[in-house]
Amino acid sequence: MAASFSLVGWNRFKRSYDFALILGVALFFAAHLAAGFLGAPAGQAPSELQVVIRASGAAAFSLLTFILCIGPMARLTPRALPLLYNRRHLGVTCFLIALVHAALVLLWYHGFSQVNAFISLLTSNPRYGSFGGFPFESLGLAALLILFVMAATSHDFWNAVLGPRLWKALHMGVYAAYGLLVAHVMLGAAQGETGLAQAALAGGSALLVAGLHIAAGRREAARDAAETEPADGWLNAGLAADIADGRAVIVVPPEGERIAVFRDGAKVYAVANACRHQGGPLGEGRILDGCIVCPWHGFQYRPEDGCSPPPFTEKIQTYRTRITGGRVFVEAAPQPPGTAIAPSLIEEAG
Amino acid sequence: MADDPFFVGWQDNVPKLSRRKVLLAGAGLALGAGALGLGLGNQAPAPGPGVWDQGRKLAMTGTIYPEPYLHLLTEDLGGGPRPVFLVGQGKDRITVRPALTFTGAAVTGTMIERGEHAMMAVDDIYADPAPGRVMPGPETDLGEVVMTGEILDAKCWFGAMRPGHGKTHKACASLCARGGLPLAFCETGRCGEGKAALLFLDARGRAFGPEIIPLVADPVIIRGRIFEVAGLRQVRVALGDVVRL
Repeated sequence: MAASFSLVGWNRFKRSYDFALILGVALFFAAHLAAGFLGAPAGQAPSELQVVIRASGAAAFSLLTFILCIGPMARLTPRALPLLYNRRHLGVTCFLIALVHAALVLLWYHGFSQVNAFISLLTSNPRYGSFGGFPFESLGLAALLILFVMAATSHDFWNAVLGPRLWKALHMGVYAAYGLLVAHVMLGAAQGETGLAQAALAGGSALLVAGLHIAAGRREAARDAAETEPADGWLNAGLAADIADGRAVIVVPPEGERIAVFRDGAKVYAVANACRHQGGPLGEGRILDGCIVCPWHGFQYRPEDGCSPPPFTEKIQTYRTRITGGRVFVEAAPQPPGTAIAPSLIEEAG
Repeated sequence: MADDPFFVGWQDNVPKLSRRKVLLAGAGLALGAGALGLGLGNQAPAPGPGVWDQGRKLAMTGTIYPEPYLHLLTEDLGGGPRPVFLVGQGKDRITVRPALTFTGAAVTGTMIERGEHAMMAVDDIYADPAPGRVMPGPETDLGEVVMTGEILDAKCWFGAMRPGHGKTHKACASLCARGGLPLAFCETGRCGEGKAALLFLDARGRAFGPEIIPLVADPVIIRGRIFEVAGLRQVRVALGDVVRL
């Protein structure tokens, strides 16, 4: 959280996560290189550097596909939440692999000439007006620049400096980068081959990412369709008894942000559903040790005032609640972030 | 409080069940990445039989001709006079003193070979009267031809790059063409074969200038005439008869 900044707040889970990541990347490269060399017909060994270029490109693209699947998967099942927790390490790794790919391409295909390699990169194929002949290298370069900006600003330091809204908007650029990379593969490697592996990788991956996002979006839309019409400015959040202890129900007002209505024993609180960190769904979190815990990265907020416990400084909006006839009602208008509000007590309902 | 496990990444006391699942998932994902790498690596196209053995230095004698591309006409390869194109280590042409051309010469370097095609990345060239002047013999006109395919730079296709054709190779081929290296033509679907390429020349049998660069490595249809000179087939094409597909 935002009290102080260390490069990486290591813990056992992060170390395990990164170990699996490194192992996965190593296995991918080892298998890809072995298949590239050993699978070639006798007497037709490919250039070592070109095999590495191909493997690094495929690794970066596959890893970015996986990264983009994590978000919607976590919306569809909480089992995917551990993948999301350390996702930025995947992103930085993806950028580094893509950088290796780009550097080797620059050296191999654009080097060893009197023409400057960067000039060659941008001018060797000037067919920007053609679809089939489009210079796919420029698409890859644009994607690499986006990935660089994202990797460089991935630390929570930048989240705090830029603010969650701008930081989030900046990091939504990953979708533009992914689109550029799909086109980079389709208009590059996939065109030069008689086999369909590259086209299947890019097209299938794009369909997978799009499909998961659509599925997650439909689920969100179905939830939002059950939006609650306010009566006298108050929203019906359902029966208090239906809210599991330590958990929440999410109320969708006609306007504004979703509201998470938490129950902590006999107390009922309502806070904004969006975490200040990366917009995670607090209403899908839990109350642990007296604090609401975001399911994405574990950011904590006190339910009574929406403030993170000291020394942290994040604040979210709070909402007034009341219980009438066993039903919880939430005032549609939010209170300023950090406003303390007394909980409604379930005993009062009687 | 709900008793189902709730994952909090920064907590070291991850619930046991959750930890086992996380470990299994991590191992599964890592193995899946390996399987994906294996599958994708296995789909790499075969580059063809080109080879550039940079560890094996050779010396060859014959006669150096500067046109259409700098080459050594030699009988050292057997089977009568054969051209060995002479290039540098990079993507630019090398120059030879005029005194070393049209007369006996020796060349040292490493061979770039693909099937019957030969090229040498030159370390040194010096006069050697021993072979005398090797003559190419008469050229044979094999008639008109219309082909679809790709204009390649011969150095990469002979074996400097494997594979050395296709759109991903266009930038490199453009640099080689700009640098004055020999150009070749391969028919669609035969670029991976050893005998498929023809030396690509203009209608008068000379090397193309920079005007050909925009068409390099693109799918094209050409109309020209095929000639055979010193065992090497050439396709001679007017620029206007090269049409991008």
